Amino acid sequence: MTSFFLKTLIALMLGFASMGVSADGVGIQIQNPWVLAPPPNVKVMAAYLEIKNNGEKPRMLVNVSSPAFEQVGIHQSVMHGDMVHMEQLKELSIPSHASVMLKPGGLHFMLTDAKKPLSIGDQVPMTLTFQSGEKIAVTAIVRSGPAEGMEDHQHMDHSGHENHKH
Amino acid sequence: MKNQRGALTRKSLALLLVVAVASAVAITAFIGGRPDNDAVVKPPVEIEDYLFWQAKDLTDFKLMGADAQTFGLNELKGKWSFIFFGYTHCPDVCPLTMGILGQAFKLIEKNPAAFQEVQGVFISVDPKRDTPELLKEYVSHFSNKFTGVTGDTAQLDAVSRQMSALYTIDREPGKPVDVYQVTHSSTIFLVDPQGRLYGRFPPPLSPQEIAGAFINIRAFYNERFKK
Repeated sequence: MTSFFLKTLIALMLGFASMGVSADGVGIQIQNPWVLAPPPNVKVMAAYLEIKNNGEKPRMLVNVSSPAFEQVGIHQSVMHGDMVHMEQLKELSIPSHASVMLKPGGLHFMLTDAKKPLSIGDQVPMTLTFQSGEKIAVTAIVRSGPAEGMEDHQHMDHSGHENHKH
Repeated sequence: MKNQRGALTRKSLALLLVVAVASAVAITAFIGGRPDNDAVVKPPVEIEDYLFWQAKDLTDFKLMGADAQTFGLNELKGKWSFIFFGYTHCPDVCPLTMGILGQAFKLIEKNPAAFQEVQGVFISVDPKRDTPELLKEYVSHFSNKFTGVTGDTAQLDAVSRQMSALYTIDREPGKPVDVYQVTHSSTIFLVDPQGRLYGRFPPPLSPQEIAGAFINIRAFYNERFKK
């Protein structure tokens, strides 16, 4: 009995933890939205997040805007051998029951001309508009780096590292 | 007639081959004869992927840093230099790479002797928008080990071509003149204290990987040049 209770509780907690921002009926979930903290006087930065489509139909992201920036675009860093360049995408398709990761070195929202300087901990409101007309409001947090990894890896010998791979 | 021509061609081809082989032997002997030659020693497996088969001497160049400081080959000598080509209007790969390198420096700091010899150089290939003063502020965000420099096209090419770090300014018709992207190398280049292109770190990168590899690279180098 106790174990059933516990399992239910854990399942519920996990459910809440992974829910992120969701729009009812759309079947889209946004997870872990963040902006890489910019160096001083830099007005161009990138936002990253995960877009999950739990619905039966593919969804098309067609526009992103933020009151904190003059302009927001859907961009992708593309590697050709050693060379890297950015491509602007008109839209971003999220297949049904799939998720698209915007992450450093790949897909990102390019935020151009910040209206005021941003620093770590600041919140950046963004609106994602889908082809169907639905809009999802997202608040991204300004961070020094990706959530996992960068800050907590301070030791050079990493004997315990394999433990993460469960 | 045809046959004769064919024979002649074959003859001259053979001659060419002889000349080519002879030159190759001569060049090899010349390079091999240099006292600081290090092509023959195979580096340990854990660092061989980062190192060039033969360290490459760099010729002098002249870039500009903040406060009218020039930056050339002399500024690379006596240090291990981690060089990255980018631009400040680059929201993704550049701050990401600079952040990783800054964290790698923090890890290297645990080895004070190694840390003392380390410097980072951010070379902006977008001099139209990146002034040396702006670059100084930009790089200090990542580590005080960084120097930010740039130059005109000829000055930039004088460095980037030696490292095969190509770049292009990608203008799009219809956009304002100051709105453009830059295609650039994503590799971090490593120059040794003699001012030679010694190795490189291609992406994807982690601070742990760079720091760990560098400590081993430096040990390998010191074993052969300092003792």
